[in-house]
Amino acid sequence: MSLQVLNPNAEVLNKSAALHMSINAAKGLQDVLKSNLGPKGTIKMLVGGAGDIKLTKDGNTLLKEMQIKNPTANLIARTAVAQDDISGDGTTSTVIFIGELMKQAERYIDEGMHPRVLVDGFEIAKRATLQFLDKFKTPVVMGDEPDKEILKMVARTTLRTKLYEALADQLTDIVVNAVLCIRKPEEGIDLFMVEIMHMRHKFDVDTRLVEGLVLDHGSRHPDMKRRAENCYILTCNVSLEYEKSEINAGFFYSNAEQREAMVAAERRSVDERVKKIIDLKNKVCLGNENNFVVINQKGIDPPSLDLLARAGIIALRRAKKRNMERLVLACGGEAVNSVGDITPDSLGWAGLVYEHVLGEEKYTFVENVKNPCSCTILIKGPNDHTIAQIKDAVRDGLRAVKNTIEDESVVLGAGAFEVAARQYLINEVKRSVQGRAQLGVEAFADALLVVPKTLAENSGLDTQDVIISLTGEHDRGNVVGLNQHTGEPIDPQMEGIFDNYSVKRQIINSGPVIASQLLLVDEFIRAGHNMRKPN
Amino acid sequence: MREVVTIQVGSYANFIGSHFWNFQDELLGLAEDPQSNEVFKSHHLDMDVLYRSGETPQGILTYTPRLVSVDFQGSLGSMSSRGTLYNDIPPVQSDVVTWTGNISTHATERRTKNLFLQSLYEEEQKRLGMENGVNGGKNDSEGEIQDKDIVECLQDGVQNWTDFSKVHYHPRSLYELTGLGMDIGEFESYGIGRDAFSEALRGEEINERLRFFMEECDHIQGIQFMVDDSGGFSGVAAEFLENIVDEYTNVPMLLYTVRSPGSYINLTSRKQTISHSLHDAISFAKLSSLCKLIVPIGLPSPSKTSRFLSIKDEKPYYSSAIYASALHSISLPFRMEPLGPSAESLYISGAVDINGVIQMLAGQARHNSVAILDVAMPAPPLSGEQVEQSLLGNLQTLTPGTADNVEDLQAVESMTVHGAIGSGGQQASVSEVKDRVQDAYENALARPMFSHLSVARCPLPIPLPFPSIFGNLVSQNGELLSSPISGSRSRGSLDVHSIPMAARLRSSAAVLPFLEKRLGNLRRFGIERVALGTEIVRSWGFGQEEVEDIGETLSKMVTTLDPRSQVSSDSD
Ligand SMILES: Nc1ncnc2c1ncn2[C@@H]1O[C@H](COP(=O)(O)OP(=O)(O)OP(=O)(O)O)[C@@H](O)[C@H]1O
Ligand SMILES: [Mg+2]
Repeated sequence: MSLQVLNPNAEVLNKSAALHMSINAAKGLQDVLKSNLGPKGTIKMLVGGAGDIKLTKDGNTLLKEMQIKNPTANLIARTAVAQDDISGDGTTSTVIFIGELMKQAERYIDEGMHPRVLVDGFEIAKRATLQFLDKFKTPVVMGDEPDKEILKMVARTTLRTKLYEALADQLTDIVVNAVLCIRKPEEGIDLFMVEIMHMRHKFDVDTRLVEGLVLDHGSRHPDMKRRAENCYILTCNVSLEYEKSEINAGFFYSNAEQREAMVAAERRSVDERVKKIIDLKNKVCLGNENNFVVINQKGIDPPSLDLLARAGIIALRRAKKRNMERLVLACGGEAVNSVGDITPDSLGWAGLVYEHVLGEEKYTFVENVKNPCSCTILIKGPNDHTIAQIKDAVRDGLRAVKNTIEDESVVLGAGAFEVAARQYLINEVKRSVQGRAQLGVEAFADALLVVPKTLAENSGLDTQDVIISLTGEHDRGNVVGLNQHTGEPIDPQMEGIFDNYSVKRQIINSGPVIASQLLLVDEFIRAGHNMRKPN
Repeated sequence: MREVVTIQVGSYANFIGSHFWNFQDELLGLAEDPQSNEVFKSHHLDMDVLYRSGETPQGILTYTPRLVSVDFQGSLGSMSSRGTLYNDIPPVQSDVVTWTGNISTHATERRTKNLFLQSLYEEEQKRLGMENGVNGGKNDSEGEIQDKDIVECLQDGVQNWTDFSKVHYHPRSLYELTGLGMDIGEFESYGIGRDAFSEALRGEEINERLRFFMEECDHIQGIQFMVDDSGGFSGVAAEFLENIVDEYTNVPMLLYTVRSPGSYINLTSRKQTISHSLHDAISFAKLSSLCKLIVPIGLPSPSKTSRFLSIKDEKPYYSSAIYASALHSISLPFRMEPLGPSAESLYISGAVDINGVIQMLAGQARHNSVAILDVAMPAPPLSGEQVEQSLLGNLQTLTPGTADNVEDLQAVESMTVHGAIGSGGQQASVSEVKDRVQDAYENALARPMFSHLSVARCPLPIPLPFPSIFGNLVSQNGELLSSPISGSRSRGSLDVHSIPMAARLRSSAAVLPFLEKRLGNLRRFGIERVALGTEIVRSWGFGQEEVEDIGETLSKMVTTLDPRSQVSSDSD
């Protein structure tokens, strides 16, 4: 998919032409993305030149897939993608909001207004809207026991914009429980402690939360158990393989014995490290039926595997770096960098460790751990593009839960906030503004309506009717949103439709910044230069 | 068996890689073909070193390169990034199982397969058909794509490296950089590449691809890494390497930095010239600091390499074939089947692993980590009067900007000769090659301090999609003729079936001009007080101190080879 290339060489155009080009590009991008918005949006199937398929309902993914050549569109796209990097959501809204700000601006500019005046109005409106948002938001208390119901509602709202209802609802509990699992009091939430693992499975679409870890590899020795209960877990980053050291290359030895002696010495030191592990195993497993599992970030070569297997130890090599941290959070113990001083205290614990094989793919499940602070969301799907789309949705859901906990507040969705803010701007702010900047405030206020309008449009409803009925309710003091099935006003609170505060905040913040940059063409051209790397 | 994992980063690296894997694929095919020559049937090379055995979810066994390839979005042409082996039935719209609402489909224009890829596809279908007992293999002649037409369509039609690839890749091998919001032309500096790697989890995904191939190695011998470092991919590679050094600390790494002739364009603006010079200096210094042995290759005009070859410089499909051939030769000793300590083989000699080569070239008294690559393609026959001069004299360097005829008493060389032709136009025996090469060194004017020789009987096979780069002085089995064969001036896979090769890695002071140029440019544009380039390097994310460190790295490399240069650099 590629957008029409208008004329990337902005410098040669005169101001007004350049401005209109920007406006058109912004509108063009809005057109591409707006059908995505909301639970009634359209999913897009992108088929590449070689038949590769991508499935997405996410503004962010779509923007990344499009090869955008136009500098304006590119600037907007990057802003939206940055939005996603920061808060994990709201890319579609950002793009259509910027597009709408430009569209509104065009009306006034065509009537002869100077863009500068509009930009001043945008700035006033933006600040007022942000203040309004702080009053409008719904605070939620996140003490030691977060309000799980509200977390679920936020997660469900997001997930239902990406997956059909039943599937979204199945994932809701999973993402909420995953975040609560890794959450540590007094610390930021590190979503990387939730591993997202997938399996291709012919018919199944299924997702589950594993309290513990799923690794995408298995042991490499035929005699090691494929399933073991009551396991000590040794998490380590220790080379258990014979490596060639510097002096080991063949030619520089005066004789073969010397060389062989070197090799033997090297081997012995590897064996000794393995021996240390075996000793610890023998110590902790003495007189009981418990098992012992080594998960190593470094390599383990066949002779070492042999020794371990003979001692009844299960060993995995080349574990993902991040899994070292996750394992310790899931199973306890510590990640050791040397076997010199391992003690029983270094060990973690898992009630069950087992291997699952699918073709050449192997998975190791480390489950039934005690107080997991790390977990895995396991996604099964019939093909890569289905898996990828579910994965994206899961990431969105996780972010939504994390944001809610960190924001300690949520915002009523389904267009309720946008309509309320618009009425506030028109009824209260606009009046207090001197001169023509008023019109900038008005343009901004009307642009906010693009969200409920687009939600209505995507539901096949008449946008005019919807806006009239929503604004009417708001003027009567009822904070309502749009029922996407009927077009009637609904109370988002009752329906449990909540968006993230930080996401809304960022949309309101970045939209006018970019629009202003585009409107003040001179500055934009300079900005355009800066965007490109010097050559 | 000691595994080698291959990494290819950037466009030209993948062109070279594509030829490289075609050779391997050809060797695999020839080994199984009852009609092929005995040197191919028992080449005594262990292909498992480069290849892995696997299994699709349907239970079909596979054999694919241990490879991670990174390239730009769209560089795979008509090939799917999942490769061809592990594919299930292509999905249709009703397959959207995650959404019950509206679906819209946006299809990019389907990239059509060229004649060559079509013929591969048809062959595959036919084989599958036969395996399933359908269609007893009749109507062969009709509609069959002719080899002649395939060769012709490739000569001018190759755009992507996948256009001439006959290899099945593993679904985890081919990684495209997506979502960069720029086209390949803009992806042109170290800084851009470095950022691209770290953003949007790309680095993490690439590292995971590599981990998949590393985890399954029982006893990895090393990594051969090729990077097209002419643009942003140098930054990608440097970040990737940093992770590799961190994660696989003791795994030996042989790094080739490759340049296409097209990367030596004449730059018009002064700013561009400065930017390019700085890029070259920084890229080289950064990459070399992350490995023990680096081999820069890629001439501005490879068409001038040899009078036996006819190459179109403007086509990467042609020039990459030479480099791939040389890399193939260099890699042979890594996979020679090990023998007992005193056993002599009739097929191979001089096995050495990646670590051995690195230690030999870079680990001795002088720690020079930059090696020069030379090739004789085809290698001259080892018979007749002037063998001695002719073998060493025919070696042409593929490393740009090196000096000729440098006397270096500490030079070290590692050479591979394979498929050499001996007296009477016959395959030379291993011992004959060894003797001849020894003679050649003894009679040479300048002898290296140390040299290592690996010999294999098996020549370089020329696969069908190989470009027509041989002149009319090269015979069907790669013999050099004294008078031209009549007919077309450039000959390809239909006329030449295999060639003898000699390739050599060399640690020599001859590389000094290459280093000095980079050091000089860095000092001039990046370090000196009013340097024009300081703004450029800053925009790539380098502070002044870091640039000075880079200068230090380069200057150490120079002094390693030329202790006297210390004096001159102190004076300024
Ligand atoms: N059940 C619902 N009824 C009406 N509106 C809803 C409902 N659920 C969500 N919305 C609205 O849909 C919008 C979010 O849609 P969507 O998630 O598709 O886009 P986005 O968040 O802007 O971008 P992204 O593509 O990054 O997710 C919000 O304005 C939200 O209030
Ligand atoms: Mg969303």
